[in-house]
Amino acid sequence: MAVPEDAGARTAATPAAEEDRIPSVIVSHVDIRYRIYGSPKRPEESEEEGAVRRLLSRGNQAGLGVQEVHAVKDVSFVAYRGESIGIIGRNGSGKSTLLRSVAGLVPPSSGTIWLGGRAALLGVNAVLQKKLSGRDNIWIGAQALGLTPAQVRRRMDDIIEFADIGDFIDLPMSSYSSGMAARLRFAISTAVVPDILIVDEALATGDEHFRARATERIEQIRQQAGTVFLVAHSRKRINQLCTRVLWMDDGRLLGDGRPSVVNGLYGRKYGRHRQVWKERYEQIERVMTEQGPEAARELLRRWEPEGNW
Amino acid sequence: MSSDLGPEPRHQPTVMPHAEAAELARRHGMTQVAVRPSLGGYLREIWRYRHLMWSLAKGEVVSQHRDNYLGVLWSVINPILLGVAYYLIFGVLLGLDRDVDNFVAFLTVGLFTFSFISATLTSGARSLLGNVGMMRSLAFPRVLLPVVKVISEFVNNIPAFLVLVVIALITKEPVTWEWLLFPVALLIVVVMGLGISMLISRAVHAVRDLANIVPLITRLLRYVSGVFFSIQVRFASIDDAPRWVGLLLEYQPVAVSLTLVRETLLQGFELRWQTWAVAAGWAVVLFVSGFIVFWRGEGTYGRA
Repeated sequence: MAVPEDAGARTAATPAAEEDRIPSVIVSHVDIRYRIYGSPKRPEESEEEGAVRRLLSRGNQAGLGVQEVHAVKDVSFVAYRGESIGIIGRNGSGKSTLLRSVAGLVPPSSGTIWLGGRAALLGVNAVLQKKLSGRDNIWIGAQALGLTPAQVRRRMDDIIEFADIGDFIDLPMSSYSSGMAARLRFAISTAVVPDILIVDEALATGDEHFRARATERIEQIRQQAGTVFLVAHSRKRINQLCTRVLWMDDGRLLGDGRPSVVNGLYGRKYGRHRQVWKERYEQIERVMTEQGPEAARELLRRWEPEGNW
Repeated sequence: MSSDLGPEPRHQPTVMPHAEAAELARRHGMTQVAVRPSLGGYLREIWRYRHLMWSLAKGEVVSQHRDNYLGVLWSVINPILLGVAYYLIFGVLLGLDRDVDNFVAFLTVGLFTFSFISATLTSGARSLLGNVGMMRSLAFPRVLLPVVKVISEFVNNIPAFLVLVVIALITKEPVTWEWLLFPVALLIVVVMGLGISMLISRAVHAVRDLANIVPLITRLLRYVSGVFFSIQVRFASIDDAPRWVGLLLEYQPVAVSLTLVRETLLQGFELRWQTWAVAAGWAVVLFVSGFIVFWRGEGTYGRA
């Protein structure tokens, strides 16, 4: 079977290399399901079918107005210290849900997650209290990350300076632009150097200047033997910042490995050259049946010299 | 050679078996996330996050008063207006002021204390589901959420409780040493509120439709707990009613709380040890059971 080069190598590496590295996150067979309320019927079902199905469905699980969403399906991986891991995948593929689970915020429905240290999550969706000022939110956020009041007082100025939102710091968060809110969240999450930093698309907002400083901060955390998870839609940023990429698709983990390889896989499914690859694979199928596997392998090697065919 | 790398790659990376993963985690002393801590561990964790609790409570109070001109003044104006309305309807119109002497003080003590209790019920019910966004962004012991609601409701009601003292003075209640027990009585009510809030928040998180019944429950409690009438007097006027029903009405948590507070401020109500014992008993039972029930669910909150 053709295994994508390096795809499984991280988790099934040689024992010697395994011993040296210290794991910081272990995710083992994690499933996350959550309930959605108020969407009683799937559109494709006819009236009777729906009724019968509802009668047959077990208990209140699919009862009146409740639907289950299976956001993450049997995902396993091990992340090590010093890695910075990009997560790619289309909208709704379960990236954010998985990362929230890693941060200990959304409990998994089954499976287990172990952490070697403290995780801090920072996301565009992270809810700070809109009616409170930036300063009040720094108090809440920093204390939730485990700082004592004395420590918060000491770092307050640093946080405000890094967030760089000027006089807005004493105005309610509801008056902030999305970029300002994102900067504040980033500043709060990195106020303590966490062992595991999870950045959820926050760098998409914010201006060029802030992005440069944020990149610097992420690199700093990584060098202090931390682990960084990064959700980003831009392939350029992933290649810049990450040493490893996880590809989530429809709740499953489809790729895990070096950025170039996983990005290549991703591109084959969703990228611009999808049509080209589709034709190539059809050709390989043909060559396989007509001339045997050796000829097909030869063909593959010509397209992807790096591949481990 | 297969086509699982084709246009629709279906290949999944090699996976470490669960037992091996568990062994690796154990070897490196890693901690499992989203599991319920031991009771002692949970208490220690809450202690560690006590400062966050105050910040959250402060934030809650501030954001409740931020949106209007009069701000905190509303927590005085509102109960007074409510008191006037109740006095006109139940005192004057229905003539319930015959039941007790100093009906004005009787009514306002009952009304303001009940407002606090009903606020803990309603805001406790919303404390988890209304903060799902925050739970998905910050990690802290979730019991802080219902607790913070009760603390902030109490702080909101402090002006109203001060108004009670003023009303007692205006209506010529004699100032006695018993007034010193007023804060103690309120404390007992707060502990009871904490228990109620923790219980209802877990129940609503498990079955969120329960949130629709909460307004009904508070309304029922408002009518049966003797907010604007004396349970004893009214009950005595019913012929051959079973005695246990009367005791039940009089000593259920909400009614006994109102009597408790009245005994400290009103001369018409003498201090009775029965009231204090039953109220303290309810407070302990509700608080302890509420805490344990909430703790049992820790590690499941937030998925909803």
